[in-house]
Amino acid sequence: MRVDQQLRLDEQLLLFMDQLEALEEKRHKLNSLIEEGWFSIAKARYSMGNKQVSALQYASEMEPLVYVETSVLEGRTAEFKCERKENKTEELKSNTIEDIGAKETISGLRRRINTIQKGVREEDQETDPQVKTKAESSTPEHRDPLKWFGILVPQNLKQAQSAFKEVITLAAEIASLQSAIIATRKEMQAQTKEQQQKTEKTQPEMKNE
Amino acid sequence: MPGRGKLIAVIGDEDTCTGFLLGGVGELNKNRKPNFLVVEKDTSITEIEETFKSFLARSDIGIILINQFIAEMIRHAIDAHMESIPAVLEIPSKEHPYDASKDSILRRAKGMFSAEDFR
Repeated sequence: MRVDQQLRLDEQLLLFMDQLEALEEKRHKLNSLIEEGWFSIAKARYSMGNKQVSALQYASEMEPLVYVETSVLEGRTAEFKCERKENKTEELKSNTIEDIGAKETISGLRRRINTIQKGVREEDQETDPQVKTKAESSTPEHRDPLKWFGILVPQNLKQAQSAFKEVITLAAEIASLQSAIIATRKEMQAQTKEQQQKTEKTQPEMKNE
Repeated sequence: MPGRGKLIAVIGDEDTCTGFLLGGVGELNKNRKPNFLVVEKDTSITEIEETFKSFLARSDIGIILINQFIAEMIRHAIDAHMESIPAVLEIPSKEHPYDASKDSILRRAKGMFSAEDFR
């Protein structure tokens, strides 16, 4: 029985050490990515101007583009997973292109039949896709934080954005690992206590013998 | 909100917040309080602590990212947080590199070993 317990404790210890090693590796990567991001922001600030890249540029309304899915596993370990909204904006863009294409063919057919009606309808159709594209393009533009700093931003700012996007994904992984480490630690403490209590019980019996 | 993931909150200096907001974590509208705090030289420790506690109290925040030098100012509040959600992640700042010996999580993990454990 005691041997089994010690084996379990050894396994837990090895798992704990592996988790700490993985955490250190991810931490190192996170820290270097963050530093890369700051460096890119600094370069962008140098080319755009000091006040052009600051908290003054933040939008008055922001919508989050990344969420974290949380789940609590057995042993109170929490798992975090990043999810981005980027795919939806890409779908919107592809839909607008398709809509415009279809309407152009219809107007082409109408032109053959009636010139006056065509004039009115063409105007409507021209405004409709324009309205649609404005409405649909405003949401992705409004959403992309890069647009707060201007329409033509330097490549450095885009590099900073991609670095921080990676940081966010890594942060979720590190959060999961941290939770796992704390859970392993608690279990090890509980098992060590249990073992100590059992050895204390057996020692007086041996003394009596 | 049902069926929706949780947010990532940030408490950091201007560049840290700018970077993470570029990454798309920011939420700011008239109905809800922002999920980030830009800490400047004149930001009081009380304000930082209140913001941190408000983030902990919110059920829609999954992770709180905080510069380590700011975490040091409110260390007692961070150490008191024992729940797994929201997770608190300490990150370096430009002037203060990351120090693993100050991290709350690693200090908790480090504290468990003593000579008696290896008997």
